[in-house]
Amino acid sequence: MAGIAGTWMERWRRTLRDPALFATVLVLWVFLVLFILFPLARLLGRTFLDGGQFTLANMAAILQDSNHRQAFWNSLLLAALVGLCGTVLGFLYAFTAVRANLPRGWIMILDACSILPLVSPPFTTAIAMIFSFGPRGLITYHLFGIKGFTVYGLHSTLFSETLTYFPIAYLTLKPILAAIDPNVEDMAFSLGSPRWRVFRTVTLPLTIPGLANAFLLLFAASLADFATPLILAGNSFPVLPTQAYLQITGLFDLKGGAVLSFVLLVPALVVYLLQRYWVGRRYYVTITGKVGAQTTIKSLAPWARAPLLGLCLLIAAAILYFYVLLFYASVVVALGANHAWTWHHYEVIFTEGLKAIRDTLIIAGLGMPLGGLYGILLGYLVGKKHFPGRQTMEVVSMINYSLPGTIVGIAYLIAFNDPPLILTGTALVIVACYVFRYSPTGIRATVALLQQIDPSIEEASESLGASSGTTFRRITLPLIVPAFFAGLGVVFIRSMTAISATIFLVSINWTLITVRILENMTELSLGPAAAFSILVVVIVFAMIALISSLLRRFRAAGVVEVTSILGG
Amino acid sequence: MSAVSIRIDGVSKQFAHRVKGEVYAVRDVSLTVQPAEFVTLLGPSGCGKTTTLRMIAGFEQPNSGRIFIGGQDVTGLMANQRNIGFVFQNYALFPHLSVFENVAYGLRVQRQSDAAILRAVGEVLAMVGLQGYEQQFPNQLSGGEQQRVALARAIVIRPRVLLFDEPLSNLDAKLRVHMRGELRELQKRLDITAVYVTHDQEEAMAISDRIAVMHQGAIVQEGTAEDLYRRPASEFVAQFIGRTNLLSARVLAAGAAGVEIELASQRIRVPDETARVAAGETVRVVVRPEVINVYAAESGSGVPGTIVSRTFLGEKAEYQVQVGAEILQVTSYDPVRRGTFAPGQQVRLSFPAEGIQLLRGEAQCRRP
Amino acid sequence: MRRFWILIAALLPAALALPPALAGESVNAYSIWPENWARPMFQEFEKATGIKVNFVRFSSGEALARVIAEKNNPRVDVLFGGPVETHAAGIKEAIFEPYKPPSFNVLPARFRHAEGQWVAIADDPLVFMSNTKFLKENNLKPPMSWNDLLHPAYKNMLQMADARTSGTAVTRIFSILEVYGRDEDKAFDYMKKKRRNVQVYTKSGGGGTLPVGLGQAGAGIFFIVDALDTQQKGYDVAISFPTEGIGTAAEAIALIKGAKNPELGKKLIDWAASPAMQSLFAKYKINFVPAHPEMKVEASLAEVLKGAKIFPIDDQYAGANRKRVVERWVNEVLSLKE
Repeated sequence: MAGIAGTWMERWRRTLRDPALFATVLVLWVFLVLFILFPLARLLGRTFLDGGQFTLANMAAILQDSNHRQAFWNSLLLAALVGLCGTVLGFLYAFTAVRANLPRGWIMILDACSILPLVSPPFTTAIAMIFSFGPRGLITYHLFGIKGFTVYGLHSTLFSETLTYFPIAYLTLKPILAAIDPNVEDMAFSLGSPRWRVFRTVTLPLTIPGLANAFLLLFAASLADFATPLILAGNSFPVLPTQAYLQITGLFDLKGGAVLSFVLLVPALVVYLLQRYWVGRRYYVTITGKVGAQTTIKSLAPWARAPLLGLCLLIAAAILYFYVLLFYASVVVALGANHAWTWHHYEVIFTEGLKAIRDTLIIAGLGMPLGGLYGILLGYLVGKKHFPGRQTMEVVSMINYSLPGTIVGIAYLIAFNDPPLILTGTALVIVACYVFRYSPTGIRATVALLQQIDPSIEEASESLGASSGTTFRRITLPLIVPAFFAGLGVVFIRSMTAISATIFLVSINWTLITVRILENMTELSLGPAAAFSILVVVIVFAMIALISSLLRRFRAAGVVEVTSILGG
Repeated sequence: MSAVSIRIDGVSKQFAHRVKGEVYAVRDVSLTVQPAEFVTLLGPSGCGKTTTLRMIAGFEQPNSGRIFIGGQDVTGLMANQRNIGFVFQNYALFPHLSVFENVAYGLRVQRQSDAAILRAVGEVLAMVGLQGYEQQFPNQLSGGEQQRVALARAIVIRPRVLLFDEPLSNLDAKLRVHMRGELRELQKRLDITAVYVTHDQEEAMAISDRIAVMHQGAIVQEGTAEDLYRRPASEFVAQFIGRTNLLSARVLAAGAAGVEIELASQRIRVPDETARVAAGETVRVVVRPEVINVYAAESGSGVPGTIVSRTFLGEKAEYQVQVGAEILQVTSYDPVRRGTFAPGQQVRLSFPAEGIQLLRGEAQCRRP
Repeated sequence: MRRFWILIAALLPAALALPPALAGESVNAYSIWPENWARPMFQEFEKATGIKVNFVRFSSGEALARVIAEKNNPRVDVLFGGPVETHAAGIKEAIFEPYKPPSFNVLPARFRHAEGQWVAIADDPLVFMSNTKFLKENNLKPPMSWNDLLHPAYKNMLQMADARTSGTAVTRIFSILEVYGRDEDKAFDYMKKKRRNVQVYTKSGGGGTLPVGLGQAGAGIFFIVDALDTQQKGYDVAISFPTEGIGTAAEAIALIKGAKNPELGKKLIDWAASPAMQSLFAKYKINFVPAHPEMKVEASLAEVLKGAKIFPIDDQYAGANRKRVVERWVNEVLSLKE
């Protein structure tokens, strides 16, 4: 097969002929190896090596502990349940938003409420849950008079995580449902099919890839969730990320923590593989929303509209309730004891907490352009150029994103605390963690946008005399700029709200708001914790508004919704 | 600027196919286009016409052979160095730029002054009939308008040659007919060499100076529309250009006076002196539907047949007539005055000698 | 154009990796004391000496884990506060630098490590804290015995610390061991019984105080600092002591081996181990019992402690058995299903 070997050689030759391409690829590989592969290797080393020898003893020691084994099964159970409930809820929401012929106002409300959990700092629902459903909870005790209801355990964790993550399913399913041409359903109706049958045989099958994808996304999110179970799971329901964290911070057992992280790696990897090769690349957000002739949607019986809408509003109200409670906690002296109005907590966070705010904003501010740049560069290279190792590069760039944050944090802690590369205690290690964890959203958006750009457009530019540099600058770049901004936005937002990885990376010099929230909560300073949380929500919303307005200015091939990007 | 010629010389292009191994998209193709000539590459999908065009443009590199534009060997040059104008099938307009900026793009690349650009763009938009559209964006235009912007964009840079890749296939029928006339007129006015690719033989015949019919990567015949219609070199060409009946006939005698053949139990002397056939051989003959005369059965002479179907099209009526085991296509003009035949009716057909074309003894091409 | 970006992208990380410039003298510490208490103390230290303290707050388990992980390249100079058993565990890992501040010799034996690996800066007895409304509703008095906590009314209403992350819990467990005369089986038996009433084991020592204050939980076992803090915040709670006795843990401070600013660290230790800092407890409403013998206990605090039977935890014994006892607790008590 001289021809095929010839193409491979040709690819190498072509790459070497283009020095800019070659240099860029090399530099990117250096970063990828350094910040993705190296820490992971060190983590594996801790798990499986002992004094240079391969050993399974560490694994055995951990797995023998029934508590840890229980945590493993619990994690899987919780993740599966969250995946199920969240997908159903998200589907409900998406179906109502797309098929119920709602006026725009309602849809906007539903949208806004679904964004809130996605962009909030951790623990927000957990705090509110304890207040509402604890033994003296606002709802359980004061409203319903139920005594002895325990708020800790699987049920509340499930409830809290479902509410937190179902927007991901909503954002995944909405474009899919919207893309199903209502004319298709019309046709089924015209053939005499009853509504339910149409739903079952037409709408649902078309949605199945989306449902599978949403389930996997939610499964992965729950698997990695460290913050909510820390507060709500209680002691009878241990889960892996929290166990790993406690192993390190409580029992000073870095090795054990590494092993637990590795155990967590296995299901995460399975999910990643399933997503990539089974559900396929159909995940990408459809950007050009060209809809066929507008026909009034009849797939939903008129009598069903109101209850569906009511249900969605109920959930939206539940979400809003949590945030109102949070805000309330931030403006009273001591929630539950002293309900005097005060701004003192805000004073506190802007004086004592100022360092955390400043540090977080600096780090987010640094990570933002770096992440956006890296995202668009890698996305362009991987999406458009051909060079040996292209697919590998794409896979590697997704690794940190797919892993639970705890693993990444522990890996960075192990890798960068000793020579040859000591980075702990600097901002760089936190920025690097964020950039390489959250840029893949920007990368995927870039690739998706590039796929939307017909190659003939770049050829047209070439035929008019433009060099490849000019073509990139004047044609390609403006068309993928929305992905750049979306990537920027995601890195910033996640930098503001992340905790599971970076809790291991804070230091004397650099601390983060989310970590302070956790500290405040455990020190029972609920006021400042709530105030910090509200501050984060405000900042994040401001950023979303900014990015959305920037995106609107670009009259590109299609408008990319930042929020839909967040779903990924 | 005076027009230039295009010459492609023994050009081939292979791809490595995962299953089939090496596949030839274009096989040893040679063609010369005279200055200001309008040549069409015509053929079914997959015959290599688009690949050939893209090699002239520089988007693909040939594995062997050379390409000359205006006498200059451009084989090694990239597309942006060849000074060509290319009109894409899907127009490839830049979605983020206005009509003005789309058209001005090539001029901006050349770093022309704003004043010069303003003038040139205005001129060319007027030429294509889009004055006033400067500030529109591509997604606000109809298909036909987009096509004209693509055209304007290609010609404003005064390319040496114009290359068209099935530019009209996305338009509706009436618009297509209208636009092809406009394209041809524009090309004549600009006095520019053009190579056009299409699969629509009617379109090709309507606007080209010359047509090169391609099949499976090679040019099987080139010539004017009339050449191709009257003297098709192979069954493939005969069937691709116009409608036809392909029949087998037995040679009775061949000589200086022509070839006497037996066709559908009729003896006909075909005035063809160049055919190299011998008595007793079987040849394939091309009989165009419009040369066959059809009479009522009572007329007596001619081949008996039965009307299978009739399609009345206004200026003509098309019949399918069963003759023996074959079904022949017959076209009759001016049916309103001359009368029509109904399905099931018995008729007689006659084949005028000068309307029969013997296929040259070339290798039969497999049906596409 | 792309090259330009690559250049920027390459330079920026280099800039970030540089350690921040230190303006003026400063010392770095991990504080196990909560921010609200550590911050005013450090501010006073800065006022007194001009030395700034950069600190991060961790719970005792986290702090120890950090210091051990950073052994080869210590990021801080001082480990500030925290129950002494945390420091005792650290000695085994050789993370401290022995240092005897001026007040070393006047400190009672249990408030200092023989070789100076750590010194105590405060004493912190454990207490029972219960919610008044809860008590009234269930017709109970504040618990006066360890066995009171086994009362069925407390089912699912107790909150206390998790021994994996909190020194409070470890002190509590060793208190129980002392009460049962170090008979581990008897002690664990009790703890298993008590477990049935426990709603949740909290990550930090004081994590359960708020729920008790709010009435989400009925009672819990906490250090007196946390309990009194809750009361002072305005929550309606009662503080009581078991007649069998309850333990107290010294709060210690230690110098980190390999510290980058050992001299400044020593100054901080000197100051903290002396009345200079400990006289400020009352001012900032920090309810530790000062360790320095010259310091008198503040009046209202003394009032609370009146008549309570408090015994010290033997830190040698605790340090030697901590890991094993905690593991046993995790396996036998924590994982008990209700």
